[in-house]
Amino acid sequence: MMLWLVAALLCYALSFALFAVDFSWRVANLSRWAIGVLSAAVIFHAGALIGRGWASGNLPVGNFPEALSFLAWLTALLGLFLIIRFRLAVIGALVASAALIALGAAEAMSGGSGKLPHTLRSLWLPVHVSLAFLGEALLLLAAVVSVVYLFEESRLKAHRPLPGALGKMPSLERLDQVNYRLLGWGFLLLSLAILSGALWARNTWGHFWSWEPRESWALVTWVLYAALLESRLTAGWRGRRAATLTIMVFVILAGSFVGLSLLSPGKHGGSFG
Amino acid sequence: MGAASADVKQNLLITGINHRTAAVGLREQLAFADDEIAAVLGRLRQQVPALSEAALLSTCNRVELIGVSAQADQAAAQAVEFVAIERGLASAGFAASIYRLQGRDAVRHLFRVGASLDSMVVGEPQILGQLKAAYTQAAEAGTVGLILHRAFHRAFAVAKKVREQTLIGHGAVSVSTAAITLARQIFDSLEHKTVLLLGAGEMAETTARQLGRLGVESLLITNRTFDRAVALARGLGGTAVPLDNFKPYLKIADVIIGSLTTARPLLTLDELRAAMHERKYRPVFLIDLGVPRNFQPQLNELENVYLYDIDDLAAVVEDTRGERARAAQEAEQIVELELEAFWRWVSGLDLVPAIKDIRANIERLRTVELDRHRAWLAALPARQRAHIEGLTRGLVNKILHQIVSELRRSRGVADAAYVAEVARRLLGADLVTLADTRAAVADAREDGEESED
Repeated sequence: MMLWLVAALLCYALSFALFAVDFSWRVANLSRWAIGVLSAAVIFHAGALIGRGWASGNLPVGNFPEALSFLAWLTALLGLFLIIRFRLAVIGALVASAALIALGAAEAMSGGSGKLPHTLRSLWLPVHVSLAFLGEALLLLAAVVSVVYLFEESRLKAHRPLPGALGKMPSLERLDQVNYRLLGWGFLLLSLAILSGALWARNTWGHFWSWEPRESWALVTWVLYAALLESRLTAGWRGRRAATLTIMVFVILAGSFVGLSLLSPGKHGGSFG
Repeated sequence: MGAASADVKQNLLITGINHRTAAVGLREQLAFADDEIAAVLGRLRQQVPALSEAALLSTCNRVELIGVSAQADQAAAQAVEFVAIERGLASAGFAASIYRLQGRDAVRHLFRVGASLDSMVVGEPQILGQLKAAYTQAAEAGTVGLILHRAFHRAFAVAKKVREQTLIGHGAVSVSTAAITLARQIFDSLEHKTVLLLGAGEMAETTARQLGRLGVESLLITNRTFDRAVALARGLGGTAVPLDNFKPYLKIADVIIGSLTTARPLLTLDELRAAMHERKYRPVFLIDLGVPRNFQPQLNELENVYLYDIDDLAAVVEDTRGERARAAQEAEQIVELELEAFWRWVSGLDLVPAIKDIRANIERLRTVELDRHRAWLAALPARQRAHIEGLTRGLVNKILHQIVSELRRSRGVADAAYVAEVARRLLGADLVTLADTRAAVADAREDGEESED
């Protein structure tokens, strides 16, 4: 299992380097190699996660490091899909480095595999956690796409378009549309995660909602994302404004994810399940 | 075959004129139309037998004969004379404009032409298609052989590699292409976009035409003289709009090109702001080609509005020029690498006849020896004779294998041909006279029929 992890870390690092070089210099057909190495990283990482899950007997989200690792994997997997489907090699370096940092941090903190308390071991767990993490990974990717958007937009606005990127950078329009789609799907999954969490709570504890910090923050970010989507649809808040807000709301989401996991155990245990 | 023909190398040869050596007038006179090339190649083959393979590349920037010959000087001179007669010119009249390249230089030239490094506008994409057409025409005329076939296909591969691995085809070479490139950085596709032309100047027309080629959905044209707007709209497939009535269209216009000579700005900040609100802030690309400027610079500060005036566009062109120069350098490196690979292959070709000769000679020795012992061999049972036959054959193959692999190893060495020649001399025809061999082989055939199993 250790071997899978090391291989995954190395591949993330290598694909980051390849994407970065491809972005800065565009030598050879590097992006293809970078995509290949990132795919390998995702596979190795999956191997490591399966090993973890096997050992603990549940989805490997028993503690914060495990959750972080799982989230990193989902992000890399979905990021890979985006890169290929929407020809967005420009986000490659950001996706690979996000996965690398998250997995690296997870392993640095790791206290072995987390066994979940008995109350949490139910079929609801994979459903609820997968929905929440998928949603979060998509929202993270929306923020990544937004970062690229802001960078490219500011260069265009300042009349200094990236000369090396001319013709190879995705257009602002495509980045904006991808951002919109990611927000839409991310929001949908986040909603379903909250819903499934409520139903699960009803089953286990007899009430839908208990206003513990995690739940409150989830609600706060849900409202913010709803507002973000609403503003685009009605007021046409797209482009730069949408990208900036996407990043800001994601910072709040990520802050609550990390902060609450480390500070307040609650019934979510050490993880954001 | 034999030693004599192998001494002279079949080699690539290119002779012709291009935009650097000849003015357009001369290039026009020497150019060949597409549909006459096949016939010209046919006549060329008959009248210049020194050329064993030939292709003709004729574009507005160059007329080149790409051929293969064992006597390059003679073939080139004859080919030039042939072209002069074909075109009804005196070859002395354009002799000064002609360049002639041979061997490696010719290969390098062919690769550079295909990769658009020798073009007037470096990186322009048409030349590859023209080179492919030249190859196809020659192949159909039956004047393409082993070397040209390989050389052309390598040239195509080099061009592809250069296009994929460098930014040579990217970036802008003129103000209008800069505008197009920027439009494609803002919009993913121009297919559902509307372009509004304010003023129908020449540069605006060029830009609009290029945008039209990218498939914009609608083109609105307005001009101080309405007739001109109508005429241009007809030519470009757009709609003419009266000048004092263009503002309602701001709501739907994604690209606005201004090129009017006007004392006061066409658009105020408030007007555009209102229009942006109406179009829900979908991006607008303002291209200001007018002098004095048609749009106030402040418009660029509005959200999702990108304003480039003519100086900004010129700066983009300047930026990409450096980029192109760097791309061209990378491309030259690719060409050199590929040239080396191709040259190794050509040199390897020289080994093939040498190896053939050596094999034939050793085989001859074997048959002569077998022949000499034919009397007692004939007394042996067929099975044992077959064994002896096999044994000698095995011995020959062992020896040959060693020589051939040694030769192949020396392929990359500069004087591989010399090594081959030495080997040929050592193991070649000198050991046995040709007449002897022929007789011996004939003999062996005659009574060898039954022993051959």
